Amino acid sequence: MDNSIAYVGEHAWAGQLGHWLTVISFTGALFALISYVLYTRTQDLGWRSVGRIAFRAHSIAILGIVVTLFVMLFNHWFAYDYVWKHSNTEMPLRYIASCFWEGQEGSFLLWAFWTMVLGNLLIWRAKSWEGPVLAVFALVQIFLATMLLGIYVFDVKVGSSPFMLIRDLPENIGLPWTKLPNYLTIIPQFSDGRGLNPLLQNYWMVIHPPTLFLGFASTLVPFAFAIAGLWTRRVKEWMEPALPWTFFGIGILGLGILMGGAWAYEALSFGGFWAWDPVENASLVPWLTLVGAGHLMLINKRKDTSLFTTFFLSLITFLMVLYSTFMTRSGVLGDTSVHSFTGEGMLAGLLIFMLTFVVISVAALNQNRSDRLFYIGISLVMFVLGITLQVQVPAIILFGAVSIIMTVVAYRKGSFRRQEEEELLSREFWLFIGSLVLMLSAAQITFSTSMPVFNLLLAPFHGAFESLHDLTGWGWAHDLAQHNLAPPVEAKAHYNKWQIPFAFIVAMLVAIGQYLRYKKTDRKKFFRELRISFFGALLLTALCVWWLNYRLAEGNIVALLFASWFAVLSNAFYIPLVLKGKLSNAGPSMAHVGFAMVLLGSVISMSREHKVSRNTSGPVLSYLNKDFNDGQDMLLYVGDTVPVGDYFVTFKGKRQVGVNLLYDMDYFTAEPRSYSAGDTVRVRSMLFIAKNDHTAGNNFIVDQPDHWAPLETFTRSQLWNTPDWKPRRPGAKEFQLEPMVQLNPRFGNVAEPSTKHWLDRDLYTHIRYAKLDTAADGYMPARLYEKNVGDTIVTPTCVILIDSIRTVQDSVTISRLGPDFTVYILDMRVRDLYDEHRWFEAQPVVIYHNGQNVGSKGFDIPELDVKFDLESVKGNQVGLNVSEREFVIMQAIIFPGINILWIGVILMTLGSFVAVRQRVRKKGGKKRAVKES
Amino acid sequence: MKRSHIIALVIIAVAIAALISSLNDSSSYASLTEAFEQPGREFHVVGTLDRSEPIVYEPSVNASLTKFAMVDLNGRKCYVNLAMAKPNDLERSERLVLIGEADANGEFHAKDMLMKCPSKYNEEHQVTAGL
Repeated sequence: MDNSIAYVGEHAWAGQLGHWLTVISFTGALFALISYVLYTRTQDLGWRSVGRIAFRAHSIAILGIVVTLFVMLFNHWFAYDYVWKHSNTEMPLRYIASCFWEGQEGSFLLWAFWTMVLGNLLIWRAKSWEGPVLAVFALVQIFLATMLLGIYVFDVKVGSSPFMLIRDLPENIGLPWTKLPNYLTIIPQFSDGRGLNPLLQNYWMVIHPPTLFLGFASTLVPFAFAIAGLWTRRVKEWMEPALPWTFFGIGILGLGILMGGAWAYEALSFGGFWAWDPVENASLVPWLTLVGAGHLMLINKRKDTSLFTTFFLSLITFLMVLYSTFMTRSGVLGDTSVHSFTGEGMLAGLLIFMLTFVVISVAALNQNRSDRLFYIGISLVMFVLGITLQVQVPAIILFGAVSIIMTVVAYRKGSFRRQEEEELLSREFWLFIGSLVLMLSAAQITFSTSMPVFNLLLAPFHGAFESLHDLTGWGWAHDLAQHNLAPPVEAKAHYNKWQIPFAFIVAMLVAIGQYLRYKKTDRKKFFRELRISFFGALLLTALCVWWLNYRLAEGNIVALLFASWFAVLSNAFYIPLVLKGKLSNAGPSMAHVGFAMVLLGSVISMSREHKVSRNTSGPVLSYLNKDFNDGQDMLLYVGDTVPVGDYFVTFKGKRQVGVNLLYDMDYFTAEPRSYSAGDTVRVRSMLFIAKNDHTAGNNFIVDQPDHWAPLETFTRSQLWNTPDWKPRRPGAKEFQLEPMVQLNPRFGNVAEPSTKHWLDRDLYTHIRYAKLDTAADGYMPARLYEKNVGDTIVTPTCVILIDSIRTVQDSVTISRLGPDFTVYILDMRVRDLYDEHRWFEAQPVVIYHNGQNVGSKGFDIPELDVKFDLESVKGNQVGLNVSEREFVIMQAIIFPGINILWIGVILMTLGSFVAVRQRVRKKGGKKRAVKES
Repeated sequence: MKRSHIIALVIIAVAIAALISSLNDSSSYASLTEAFEQPGREFHVVGTLDRSEPIVYEPSVNASLTKFAMVDLNGRKCYVNLAMAKPNDLERSERLVLIGEADANGEFHAKDMLMKCPSKYNEEHQVTAGL
């Protein structure tokens, strides 16, 4: 921080401004917190005014930070670490937004931005709830601003600022170059930034993060209202204003999560839209609990039958957002996720952020004052002990146990317990059950994702579990003692085992839920209304089972299919049947149809996705290991036409467009192949001759008796030269796909898939391997064959017969080169491996001088896309370099029914918004009515 | 017995079952020594690519098989059959997590692999500038 040097071109003012704005936003939030707490306690409107001014100041500061960071990125001020790390000059400008939130700091800023926007909307709308709700918002903003401060308090770094100059980074302080006033111009590294990770240079990455973070930010609204309700002892009233916000959050968060899925499907090459990755799970869990919370609010507005669960789910949703933030950003996930952030020293800050809100939640639930004080006291003691005695893990475990006990105490002592039992056939009972199932589903995902956290928590108990193992011989005790749990190897199977039954119950409840009445349902009417949907769903499920060929062992999947169809139909029929076609009230039905379609699309596409690319050459992989799978990747030579699924594909070649290397793949229809009498074909190691003209069926064994007679005798070369029997041949060109590789020397090259969409299925293809450094002539690196004259070489594309070596030492050669030179010419015949009639001749040449290879003249056969280079001649032995034409390894996957999923997402989001709009209007209408009377 | 009690019991039972199942299905991080002590059991093994050995990937022989050698965190080396096309950045990887099992012949069969490449997220800013 040497101010005496006048640095050139640094734009230091921007960093200063950004830093001061961060400080203002922090202070503003702090003042807003204090004022709103005082306002809530005293109801003094003066404090509310101060709170509003402070929160507005905070808001303007946050806006200023956002603008400053954008200006820095837009102008490529690479003196700043954040700009240098996340952008460069080559990158298209439209991805500036992706740079903004690529880093830890930028995404916290995005979160703070949305929380700020929602806070301002609540100042405008929340009325009597403004005090406590905004106090909670201000506290969250204090923590988020802290994450951006990047200052040192007693040698502990607090947060990480996006406004750091590279020369001010701790690792650079004191280095000689930081004393140069013109370091930006003389050090070449500063002329351009590191650039954006190619995976994020995608339009989904421009819209997915803001949507997801708006979803995360909106989970704070029900949390804040729940706290407000407990704080101001209005334990039921808070749900009315919180309800539309909650459903807004459900819609936005759901959309954000599935946009992430769309990004993965469109831009990433892990082959699918959902992989149960910890980062994906971390966003799904809060959505599940939020859905539970929202639906319980619907009941409790009318009856207080499950008040405690409503509070619990509303509070836990935001806590799960904090937990997932902690998991994905503190670095604890480490090796378990490919796309988590690394630590950057955020662990302590995030942990304190999360635990503070746990304390607030549990303390608020305890309505008994002495219990509350006891709990807060214990928490503080744990905090102090944990830090001073360096026993964080036991302190956290003890704190967790006390928090759970105090939650139970709050439930037993508080006024949440319901008095009466509900009717079995009532909406409130089944909504309650549904919310519990959602909670269990969230809990299961959380358990399985939390392995790295378990490892941290288990570490201090190494000795205890080890002695338990010694005493009892229990294997699991030993495993726990090692505290090195890893996520399940078969992640998909593990999660599906639990989540399919949960999804089944939820979908069944979605199907019947709206037909149930509050309090008591007319049994006869209920069954009559649902009858069509039930039988319709049975029929559609049967069709699906027939179309997609489900087996008996897949009963759970078929059950979920049925439940999803049932939910689609019953909710769709609800609109004409019960709502009489009034679309403004149809929001919930629409959202439910959408949700059920998301389930349906996921179940169909995930259970019936299949790789149509096959490894057809070489040893079978399952010999190596029983779990190894051959049906994965296929080898495509340039120019080859090979079957893939119901099509034939030709790899035409590659071309470069900007930073992308596009591989042109033409797809042709597969036509039945016709054989005429007298054609011979090979099947395994037998030859057959056609008895008559016919069109091939799908199976040779079926065709054989009528159309083929086995050849009794044949020579080896006949066997070799005869083509395989093939049922189909390529027909007309249907479409073209262009899977590509994005070249990025700094981050590594990234393959991006290319997908053909049909109404009922997708063909998803991506490059798994490609030699990018092929020479300009399009040949692969050569392979050396050492053979003798008379030998045969079989390469993947051709058969080479080495006929003879000629030594040329005639007068012309001698006069041109001199007497010490010897010229060898290799005479070869080359045959296309796939066509026994295509023969070519080749004469590669090598020149020796006193026994040393001094030069050679290669020989190309462009028709076969192969190139020969004679490397050595030693008597009868020759070394021949063969360069094959270019190839790629491609994977092709069919995803059936995936469009059902995408349509479902759109319907679910639209439905949620229609429902929110209708709720807000109804509320407005009520108020107008009061005013008029 | 009230219905709410039954529900509570079911919930607790399912939650416990889910927790146990998660622990049951979980794999373990292990060293190569541990993996070879229990051939056939699936582990996550963390290590680095042994750059002194060649990476063998012959698509014309088998497009889904990559062979290379790795060294685990304790320095033990072993040969790996990875049932995948060669990842483009394998050479530049700084850390590998192999998911698979050891066999009795001293080779490790991995069906999946996670890679950390040095530049992905946390490349250090290096300014040497010849000063």
